[in-house]
Amino acid sequence: MKKNILAIGSLLVMLSTLMLTSCMDEWDAPNVDDYSVTSPTSVGEPNITIDGLKELYFQTFSQTNSFVLVEDTLIVEGIVVANDEGGNLYQTLVLAAEDEGKQVDVSNCIVLAVKSTFLTPYFPMGQKVRVNLNGLYVGCYSKMPKIGQPYYTSSNNLRLGPMLFELCETKVQLIGSPEEYCDSIHPIVIYDDSHPLIAQESEYQNYMNAPMLVTVYGKFADGDDKTILAPDELKDAGMGVDREFKIGKKTITVRTSTQNDVAFLPMPTNEVALTGVFSYYDGWQLQLRSTADMAVFQDVEPEDNNGNE
Amino acid sequence: MSKSVKLVAMLLCLSTPMWAQESIDTLSQQDNSDFTFTESQLDDDNDAAQTVSAIASSKNDPFLSEVGYRFSPMRFRVRGYDNMYEHVYMNGLQLNDLELGRFSFSMIGGMNDATRNQEGVAGFEYNNFGLTGIGGGTNYDTRASQFAANHKITLSGCNRNYVFRGMYTYATGIMDNGWAFAGTIGYRWSHEGVIEGTFYNSLSYLLSAEKKINEQHSISLVTFGSPTERAQQGASTEEAYWLANSHYYNPYWGYQNGEKRNSRVVRDFEPTAIASWEYKIDESMKLNTAAGAKYSRYSTTALGWNGDAYDPRPDYYKNLPSSIFDVYDLKNRNNPEFLEDNPYFLSQYNDLYDYWKESKANRQINWDRMYYVNQTQNEAGGEALYYQERRHNNQFVFALNSTLNKTIDQNNKYSLGVQFNHTTGMHYKTMQDLLGGELYRDYDKFAANEYGRFGKDAWNDLNKVIFDRDGNLLDDSKAHIHEGDKFGYDYNILVNKAKLWGQYQYNYGIWNLWGAAYGEGTTIERDGKMQNGRAPKNSYGKSGAAKFLGGGGKVLISVRPFAAHKITLGASWDSQAPLARNAFVAPRMQNNFVDNLTLEDIFSGELGWQFRFGSATGKISGYYTKFMNQVEQTAFYNDQENRFTYLTMTGIDKVHYGIEGAIVYQVNSELSFNLMGSIGDAKYTNNPYAQVNYEGMNATTNEALNEWINPVTGDNMPLRVIAKDVKVGSTPLTALSLGANYNVNGWYFELNLNYYNRTYVGYSAYRRLANILKNYNAVGKDETGRPIFNVEDPDGERDPKQILNEDGGIMFDQEGKVVKTYSPRLEKYHGGLMLDGSIGRSIRLKDGKAMSINLSLQNITNNRNLRTGGFEQNRDDLYSTGVARAYKFSKNSKYYYANAFNFFLNVNYRF
Repeated sequence: MKKNILAIGSLLVMLSTLMLTSCMDEWDAPNVDDYSVTSPTSVGEPNITIDGLKELYFQTFSQTNSFVLVEDTLIVEGIVVANDEGGNLYQTLVLAAEDEGKQVDVSNCIVLAVKSTFLTPYFPMGQKVRVNLNGLYVGCYSKMPKIGQPYYTSSNNLRLGPMLFELCETKVQLIGSPEEYCDSIHPIVIYDDSHPLIAQESEYQNYMNAPMLVTVYGKFADGDDKTILAPDELKDAGMGVDREFKIGKKTITVRTSTQNDVAFLPMPTNEVALTGVFSYYDGWQLQLRSTADMAVFQDVEPEDNNGNE
Repeated sequence: MSKSVKLVAMLLCLSTPMWAQESIDTLSQQDNSDFTFTESQLDDDNDAAQTVSAIASSKNDPFLSEVGYRFSPMRFRVRGYDNMYEHVYMNGLQLNDLELGRFSFSMIGGMNDATRNQEGVAGFEYNNFGLTGIGGGTNYDTRASQFAANHKITLSGCNRNYVFRGMYTYATGIMDNGWAFAGTIGYRWSHEGVIEGTFYNSLSYLLSAEKKINEQHSISLVTFGSPTERAQQGASTEEAYWLANSHYYNPYWGYQNGEKRNSRVVRDFEPTAIASWEYKIDESMKLNTAAGAKYSRYSTTALGWNGDAYDPRPDYYKNLPSSIFDVYDLKNRNNPEFLEDNPYFLSQYNDLYDYWKESKANRQINWDRMYYVNQTQNEAGGEALYYQERRHNNQFVFALNSTLNKTIDQNNKYSLGVQFNHTTGMHYKTMQDLLGGELYRDYDKFAANEYGRFGKDAWNDLNKVIFDRDGNLLDDSKAHIHEGDKFGYDYNILVNKAKLWGQYQYNYGIWNLWGAAYGEGTTIERDGKMQNGRAPKNSYGKSGAAKFLGGGGKVLISVRPFAAHKITLGASWDSQAPLARNAFVAPRMQNNFVDNLTLEDIFSGELGWQFRFGSATGKISGYYTKFMNQVEQTAFYNDQENRFTYLTMTGIDKVHYGIEGAIVYQVNSELSFNLMGSIGDAKYTNNPYAQVNYEGMNATTNEALNEWINPVTGDNMPLRVIAKDVKVGSTPLTALSLGANYNVNGWYFELNLNYYNRTYVGYSAYRRLANILKNYNAVGKDETGRPIFNVEDPDGERDPKQILNEDGGIMFDQEGKVVKTYSPRLEKYHGGLMLDGSIGRSIRLKDGKAMSINLSLQNITNNRNLRTGGFEQNRDDLYSTGVARAYKFSKNSKYYYANAFNFFLNVNYRF
């Protein structure tokens, strides 16, 4: 009898020990240093520039909303100068060309739209990407030159939207590391309304120039140090809020999506420097990339005012 | 002897803390019916323990005695009732969970041999252990003296949730010194269950000691538990099943380092101890008293991601081909002309199709991607965007039951009882795995998008952050979350229930009369452990108790006009407190009780005829049950709003009615045939009030969610769910079975052909909110004065009646009065057949030893198309602009399927 009871007890202890040491849901972190969502092999050698692409498809790019299928094997390269790091740009990578001397030409970019939220980890700032456009579409979305695929908007309009994220695996290749270009990204600085982009805006508001990466100096028309950039109650059908921004005597629009950190930035009363993606529709429009793109005036030292750096 | 007793007593005490870090089970039922239940019937984000059919098996009712075993593969629920209406006792102590109402069968998983002694009763049936619910009750007798004195070893193999089971049971019987001991130990395991990506690891134990002090007194102590760790199966859409080429596709797992890692892992351990005292006052009177305590630890993991990160679920709708264009719109979209004119749609559709088909990894969770994203966040000084959280639902329970049974004479007997239960439910979540991330702050990422993460509203616990007077964040270091830390929510639910009951049975000739009544008091309270930024004044500390005084009774009259026939007529009324789990408007966040919280009422009536005609015996019953003023809450991650959402309905009325019965025809002593079935209906009969609460929103914003503006008068009306005529889902409302049993020379054979039909998908209350459905204004009146409505299909393909029946709608007359409501059509599954069988042999060996072998085969014809359950997605088909989305949530419910052909081989040896 005693033996039996002891046997049960001993078995219980053994099994409990076994249970405590045999958890089946223990995991070591995988090594993801080489992880990528893009093509591990070459998508082809670049055979066209961003400029060249816009010129080749000028009839499409020159319209407000349009798109066309790229049927040839066109390979374009660009460096990421804006992404969705701050949540204000959605499914958007802005690619700039590399000019001679490994400098990044932010005066004439194109949007690579990809259907996924938070692209930044895969496409950080400064990352050079190569895109095989064959099978993709190029065109404009509200005058913004873009690479992507057509879709129906929430207003039931057929537009050029983002390409499938899954296609990155075959259409997009990462070239080098972002560090190579990170320090070479210098926005065009617009210090006042005498800058050609402002003073002669109609000459620059076209598909060949837009989008650009710029830094503008000026004041918010409604700046009071309290009112935030994009309160939810003011959002329009595009889920964004437009704010007037004065550069000298001229006014541009600062457009901000709601529900991200940028949206909650208070509009300063004083002059500020804003950096972001510069595009046009009725007039110039600026979209900040992240909260770091708003700096108080005294924090920024303009290098010159001639439209370069 | 005394040393051995002490040792066992010590082990009994030690057993609880020893497994305190371990976990749960399956929903195994009685005998060997370890069906492959998973939490398949659960809502994805619902922590309700289980909804698997657990049926009180009454030996007096040929239908109830068989139905649990026969129809379980299809998750049949008797009369469509929730399991909370079946009361489960052990040694006289009621063990139903006060928060959820249900008994957790995982508590006794894997201890089949120890729970074989049981008494099951139907809802209208006298018993000696307690007053049961309308679903009846079961009392497991695990006192050591009730075990047969022997050793028993059971070994099982199967292709279900687990692949191996081993059990050892030993009982001494009552020894000369009055002591009896019994114990069972079981282990169930699978590295991978029948569903891909799942595993199972479960130990079970039950130890029982009893001392018969003298002829009058006997005391017993039993402790048991079933620490289990198991991975779960998720429901998915038909499209995902089609792409994966399997109705058993499981979206919960993905590869990590080449191994299959499941994102949903349950750990469950509910160590329980019950002490009981049996006092035979005299030959006719007996007092049974049982007191017990349970400290359960239940937790399950789930993926978490913050507002900017892409949804990591592999079957997220944007990953599916049908998100590209409306494949159901054959006229405007899915036709050759349109697709030829717009080739990019078919091209994208095919790209996604190919991606899904290309490799298995593409249609599963991408763990590497989450690690990679977090790693890049670390390098950028950002927060982890993906993580795995563990949601804990622990409980401490103390309960006491005492029952006095008195037999006055052959025709009169009565019982009186008292019950008390205190339950503290502890609900919180911890950071299970940061998936390589190094920084995570405890603010609600979705609230941060709404209110800004630098403001107080976003933070989940204001006690962990410091703001200055102007509301500027000064310090959040205490809100930095590491693995193992609590975050998000932390609260206790306190429930107390006391009940007095009595019953009396009287026989007079051919008549039998039984009456029972009870009164009960319930208090429910929340105790918040965090001060939530969206509800800073009503989240931390106690809510104050809501008090409910309820009661009810049952009456049964039966008459036996002939020896072989018995007719019964029963009726009952219950007025009960709502469940604690439904009582708070957003329990993870705040203390507020749901509006209109009142007692829930149930009327139930039953007419039965038990008969014998020659060799045929059986019973047929008709039933009608009306539920009134019910409260139900669903809590789910709302894809549409990217927020965790609570939707509570109050004032719900439902009816369940139908017929059920069983007939057994005994051809001879070896062969019998049986026919059994249930055909009924279970549906909502009104449009209950609704209360919606988003966890990431504060009170002001939430108020706006609950607006329903009268389209005629412009007045704000109480929000409702248009649920009238919606069927109760995830159980067949028609279940029929034809079976044969053959026993000869120790062999036994059983074959059952089961037919199931009228199973409905679980409905989404969210999609039926009055402010989401289309509201129609009357455009005039006809000659009889009835309002006329303009209900038109823009495509001109459907007539108005079809539009309303399919899409739903609310009709307002010209004065703004609601004259008619239509709830969107609820999907009914196709019916089907399932053939089950078993073969076994009992072998008597020398010296009283015995052995038995049994092989059960389920779904022999391998019918892989029988849906057992599922649920509609909580999203509607329109953008906020009113434009239809390409993806149709209304046509993409998520489903579970009955298991394909499976077997269970069981061998046991008694010695």
